[in-house]
Amino acid sequence: MRESLVIFRRELRSYFLSPIAYVFGILLVSVLLWYSTEVTLQNGARASAEAFFGTLPFMLILFVPGLTMRLWAEERKLGTLELLMTFPVTIWQLVLGKFFASVAYLGLVLLLTIGLPLTLGAYGKLDWTPVLGSYLASLLFAGSFIAVGMFWSSLTRDQIVAMLLSLVSLFVLYQLGNPLNIELASDWMPASMVDLVNGISPFKYFVSIARGVLDTRDFVYFACFCGFFLHANTLVLQARRQRG
Amino acid sequence: MATRNTLATARGSTLTVTVHVVLLLHVLGQIVYLASRYRVRVDLTSDQLWSSTDSTRQLLGRLEKRLVIEAYFSPKEKLPVLYRETRAWADNFLDEMVQLGRGNVVVQRLDPNSDKAIADKAGRVGVKPLELRSQTSTSLSLDRHWQGLRLLYGGGKQKVIATFTPGSSFLAEAVLTPAVKEVLTAQKRKFGYMEWPVTAAGGPQQGGIGWNTLRTLDGIANRYEFQNFKDEDGALLPADLETLFLYRPKDLTDRLKYVLDQFVVKGGTLVAFVDAAEYLIGPQRTFSRVPMVLDAAGSQQKFTDQLLHYGLDWKVKVLADMAQRAHSPADPFGGANEYFAVLQQNSLGRAQHVGVPYPYFFHAIADDWSKVADELAKNNRGELDQALAAQYRKQFVSGMPSDEFLFKAFKQVGRGPGFYWPTWVGLRQRAGGVADLPPEVEGRVLLWSSPAVLVEDPPQSLNPLGLGDNLQKAAEMQKFSSKLRERLAAEPRQQAPLMVEVKGRFSSFFAGHDRPKRKSEIAEEQAKKPKVDDPATPVDESKPNPDDGPQPDAGQQKTDAAAVVAEAAMVTRGEEPGRVLLVGDSDFLRDDVVGGQYAKAGGPFSGITAAPFFAQMLDWLAEDRDLVDLQSRRAVDRSLKFVETATASNADPRLAEQALRSKTTWLRMLNVVVPGTLMAALGLLVFLFRRAQKRTFLSSLS
Repeated sequence: MRESLVIFRRELRSYFLSPIAYVFGILLVSVLLWYSTEVTLQNGARASAEAFFGTLPFMLILFVPGLTMRLWAEERKLGTLELLMTFPVTIWQLVLGKFFASVAYLGLVLLLTIGLPLTLGAYGKLDWTPVLGSYLASLLFAGSFIAVGMFWSSLTRDQIVAMLLSLVSLFVLYQLGNPLNIELASDWMPASMVDLVNGISPFKYFVSIARGVLDTRDFVYFACFCGFFLHANTLVLQARRQRG
Repeated sequence: MATRNTLATARGSTLTVTVHVVLLLHVLGQIVYLASRYRVRVDLTSDQLWSSTDSTRQLLGRLEKRLVIEAYFSPKEKLPVLYRETRAWADNFLDEMVQLGRGNVVVQRLDPNSDKAIADKAGRVGVKPLELRSQTSTSLSLDRHWQGLRLLYGGGKQKVIATFTPGSSFLAEAVLTPAVKEVLTAQKRKFGYMEWPVTAAGGPQQGGIGWNTLRTLDGIANRYEFQNFKDEDGALLPADLETLFLYRPKDLTDRLKYVLDQFVVKGGTLVAFVDAAEYLIGPQRTFSRVPMVLDAAGSQQKFTDQLLHYGLDWKVKVLADMAQRAHSPADPFGGANEYFAVLQQNSLGRAQHVGVPYPYFFHAIADDWSKVADELAKNNRGELDQALAAQYRKQFVSGMPSDEFLFKAFKQVGRGPGFYWPTWVGLRQRAGGVADLPPEVEGRVLLWSSPAVLVEDPPQSLNPLGLGDNLQKAAEMQKFSSKLRERLAAEPRQQAPLMVEVKGRFSSFFAGHDRPKRKSEIAEEQAKKPKVDDPATPVDESKPNPDDGPQPDAGQQKTDAAAVVAEAAMVTRGEEPGRVLLVGDSDFLRDDVVGGQYAKAGGPFSGITAAPFFAQMLDWLAEDRDLVDLQSRRAVDRSLKFVETATASNADPRLAEQALRSKTTWLRMLNVVVPGTLMAALGLLVFLFRRAQKRTFLSSLS
């Protein structure tokens, strides 16, 4: 645990020492708020941050790969991965440290958007619980995307390849939860397969938590989803360590 | 050899990893599946938007037999996207019902698309298919999808919901829970009524306009039974009748007053929707008073005196509430027809109804009016009269002072049902405004107007808008409102009671008087007299006149004939507590106002408030609280208000719009720019700090 915390601190610090993280954060927050405030801040509209949280998943698809591409690929390219492997930490501790640092960084970036709910609360009766639920859902959703991105980053030395692979896979995962695609798929897929495919997408569970309902099913799903990709990540690193 | 070994090891390792991943996926899949089967959910929304109300919980918790819900559902994946969402809500709510039913709720899902026999059965029971057209560039097809329910309770009563397509959990509950209540209702509670239909708009109409719409609404008629007890002969009401409604009483004979008196004295509940006057509604919003008499010709006793005897004071006056909130529509944009509207051309040249403030149509407002005593006690120069303010604080009360569950839903919206030309119905008072009720009787006012009410004799005609063009109409309306305002300024402030209740052991209004006789009794007496007196009279008078409105049941008439000689003696003091409720309006319940026919000509339309009020009143009278929580479930108004409404309406609309736009733009900029600036500032700070560190380090080296 202590070792994971050391890795976590090191990673989180590295985010704030790099100008890319600031550019990334400013872009994400500005684009997200620019689009969502246009819909949300309307006189007479319902005081709700739904539009903001509705835009967030798509934005995360675009931005998370940029955040995760360097996590392992850069270490490999700079040759620091081998050095890391010599540290007295297990691979799981390494993976968890990096994972939680990325989640914490995204959490801090999301915290900067709190101004929007505060504005809504000042000019209307905002129901804060769904908003807080949505922030929690966003973190879980972002966590699942980070886990996928980290996995791809561990597979390749090239950051661009890692980013593209993440981008495509996250896009596919997101689209699996899109009702329009489900309808298209149902024309040629058996019903059980449609349900299975739909059930894989984190988007479905994000929507469930974001509306203000905490359901053990959703938390179990996110834990399993992140757990699977983080475990796959450790397997890749393990294999790499064994190969020397 | 070494290479082959390495390859073999690598292959083995890959295989192990693959098996490992597949097994892990399988295990995690199982965990997610189990988690979705056995789950715990907590609805954290403050309005409990995603949870069922206590009404549903209590109803399902009380099930003694098995409630089978046949769900005629086409496969979800076949449904168009729009309907798939409704299926999710339907499924969710049905699952919740199964959980809450603790084994007494069974949902049977039947797919009419897969089996023609099921489709036929769906058609037979009344579940209707949704016929939806799907179109591609090369084909056009008409698909049939089913999404309806049949509820069967204990193998007996059933209820069919032809199409069940809820857009939210709230709507799912709003449809299903009353349906469950219906099948659970073993015996319909019976209400009696007597009605005196209103003269129709535009002129006399045979039969007039009654109040059938509300009584025959599906949700009401399935739970309550209404029987007309208006009997031309004047038979006493049956002993098992608990509640009697009087709709717009007029032309009351002494015999009928006696019937009502005995009903109340013997412990019945009398609910009267009364009106002081009747108006014909003409073109261009003109109103002309129609002659209407409360007491029939030859009547010895006044109905108002009879009510006064029970402790009720019905002043046959018309009320106008000058408080703007009382007579303004709840939704100024979409609710013009709620009260009073005129047809005007908008800027695009299209005719549309525009709401007009008309103080004779108003709501009781749930505010505590004593809190604005200081404001009301100021004179024209804005000086406060302390003594008057103290008097107002003591005198004024909340517009909806009662905690009865009848008003629970209305209190949430802050106002009662809308009334049209209401009349004063209060408690009998002594000098000084002290209630003066008969012994063993208690009473209370349930609805009050605001303190800005005008009380007047029903005017002969009203023409608030005149007959000119739009500008002239506006000027006329202005003049009309100014006159009312002048009058208000000249008169003392008071609140008018709009709904009142007295209950207790009543004494008979007719005690000490002769019992008014029935028509048949009079006819019989006259028949016993020598024929030379008036040979034809007995036969003719006993016949009911078919033009006199609804006729009593044939069985009832037979009973009357048999009871000519056997009517019970007058009860002068009741053993059981009776109850009299007066509601100071009946127009809000009349068919054309509730049904919206009259709204086509500009309103008013009372369906939004009258229907729930009447339904909840029936539950209240029947002391049935099962649906209270569902009826009073209402989402809080969460609309954003960047500018005050007053500013928007008083000022130049262009300026108001400009102010709104500039505020919205400013807020938007603030929200978009500030977070990015904060992040950039942090980055700059880190950069400066690190540069300083670097310089210090380099200088230490040199």
